[in-house]
Amino acid sequence: MSAAEVTFCKVRKAFGNAVAVRELDLAIGAGEFVSLLGPSGCGKTTSLRMLAGLEFPTSGTISIGGRVVNDVAPGKRDVAMVFQSYALYPHMTVGENIAYPLKKQGMARGEREAQVKRIAAMLKLEALLDRKPRQLSGGQQQRVALGRALVRSPKVFLLDEPLSNLDAKLRAHMRAELIELHRQLGRTFVYVTHDQLEAMTMSDRIAVMEGGELRQFAPPREVYDRPANLFVASFIGTPPMNIVHGEFNGRVFRHPAITVPFQVAGAPTRVALGVRPEDVLLGAGPFRATVRVVEPTGHETIVMLEAEGAALTARAPAESHLRPGEIVPFALRADRLHLFDATTELRLEARATEEISA
Amino acid sequence: MRRVLFNLMAWTIVLVTAFPLLWMVLTSIKPQFELFRMPPTFWPEQITFEHYARLLWETPFLTYMRNSLVLSFSTTVLVVAVATLGAHSLVRFRYPGRERLAQLVLFTYLLPSVVLILPLYLLMVWLGIANSLLSLVIAYTSFALPYALWLLRSFMQGIPDDLESAALVDGATRMEAFVDVILPQALPGIISTCLFTFILSWNEYLYALVLVNTDEARPLTTGVMSMLVSAFNIEWSLLMAASVMMSVPLIIIFAFLQKYLTRGFGAGGVKG
Ligand SMILES: Nc1ncnc2c1ncn2[C@@H]1O[C@H](COP(=O)(O)OP(=O)(O)OP(=O)(O)O)[C@@H](O)[C@H]1O
Ligand SMILES: [Mg+2]
Repeated sequence: MSAAEVTFCKVRKAFGNAVAVRELDLAIGAGEFVSLLGPSGCGKTTSLRMLAGLEFPTSGTISIGGRVVNDVAPGKRDVAMVFQSYALYPHMTVGENIAYPLKKQGMARGEREAQVKRIAAMLKLEALLDRKPRQLSGGQQQRVALGRALVRSPKVFLLDEPLSNLDAKLRAHMRAELIELHRQLGRTFVYVTHDQLEAMTMSDRIAVMEGGELRQFAPPREVYDRPANLFVASFIGTPPMNIVHGEFNGRVFRHPAITVPFQVAGAPTRVALGVRPEDVLLGAGPFRATVRVVEPTGHETIVMLEAEGAALTARAPAESHLRPGEIVPFALRADRLHLFDATTELRLEARATEEISA
Repeated sequence: MRRVLFNLMAWTIVLVTAFPLLWMVLTSIKPQFELFRMPPTFWPEQITFEHYARLLWETPFLTYMRNSLVLSFSTTVLVVAVATLGAHSLVRFRYPGRERLAQLVLFTYLLPSVVLILPLYLLMVWLGIANSLLSLVIAYTSFALPYALWLLRSFMQGIPDDLESAALVDGATRMEAFVDVILPQALPGIISTCLFTFILSWNEYLYALVLVNTDEARPLTTGVMSMLVSAFNIEWSLLMAASVMMSVPLIIIFAFLQKYLTRGFGAGGVKG
């Protein structure tokens, strides 16, 4: 068996009156690593549980490998899931936990033990096989949860924030291991997270969700460089993108402090300009802003500015000597500016016409 | 100092509670003539097991004992089987009226048994099973089950949903997930329920008195009373010997199940 593509077609899920997922259309390619990314409560877990068969869609169809699985029991979908809570069976040892899916497949004992050994070696769990889950650290428990999923080589792996409770160092390590694992196995991975760093570093494509709706489904680079709407623009990136509301007269974006000429067809008059903090260039340029807060982080300094009512965040080199209250000139990198329709919040395909303009 | 005081108090309570039990055992092995001596002897001057022998070979005691065992075991098995599945349903499945149902179950538990006893008796007669062990099994189930359901429901509410979900994704059927994952997690609750039901059935008197009046189907409680206690005479030595033997099964069961009660609380399988 091999990887399989996964398709959500107009999938909707309501719990009573509360809609958790609405009209979700998502086509995930075979062998792809896709992250579901979004703020808490946006329907990521619900989507994953529907894919696993633990939750029944209110309407719409879900298919795995071209087969509609709406009526297929979880155990018959050939998917493996790592739960946000790990969900290790407390009364079973680590070895029994990992062997459980194989046992349910009816695999003979000898072969089961061989498989468990193989997985334990891969996840460095050999020494822990006889322990109970409560005798393990969080990171070890998580590896067991992964092991229980990996032992089976299913068509699709579902991972629900598997790294969320680990410390930063272990998380970075596990991130790398998961990337490597995906490369080795070549299976389809659906990975739920609300950590954008995880999504950016691990995924082939990111599905950004908000309030039960899909906002953008694209490779990480594109989600960052060409956000499809204001939500994605401000959700992806730390510190988040600066959004400056202003007017557009067909040629020039105008805000009391900032004007940028744009080439765009059929733009509305009320628009929002998006500027990433690294694209605000402090020190010289046509615009002026007052420094409000300076936050040195070590390798760089985050500067909060105010320009005629617009709040701006800029990334500056670590050695910059700005002080609160100071007035600094700044410029914007014209080739990296984003323009959004302020009413529909959608991206406008616009290009600033000059490098930096007064 | 406080420890000593505390221990002293604990032991006093134990002694006060245990004294009647001790007295029961001692009385049962005293010969008849020593029983009513004034002043009473504490330790028997002469030890005899004649009361036990008489009870076992000359009275229907063994029939009662068998009835009580069959009755209590059947009730326990029935109640625990229905209550585990029912509690699981109340906790895991979503259907209209689920909460209402759970409350109604508790409500039936609040009704005093004297209110239920006549309708139950008429029902048994109507069903043609009055005067049988089966009628008692049904009657005991009717009042043990609501409590058992509530006890197990609260136990099962403590078991994370994800455990069962994980088993389902791992290829188990619903029943397999229940047996492999839910039951072991609920084991302490199931054992408490077993004990509760067994003791309740073992000691029940009122229903047994009303619903059964043949020796073939009488359990120990009513059997021993009707056999040894009459308006004119109480057979103290036999009564005490019977009481001792009635306690034995409970003591055995407690000794056997106690270690499970404290063990098996499966913490740490799910984070958070
Ligand atoms: N069993 C349920 N009953 C009722 N509402 C639910 C249920 N499960 C989820 N919801 C609701 O559906 C919405 C989406 O929940 P979901 O768990 O999918 O969010 P999520 O994106 O996984 O969030 P998080 O990042 O916090 O895990 C939430 O508003 C939640 O309250
Ligand atoms: Mg979630």
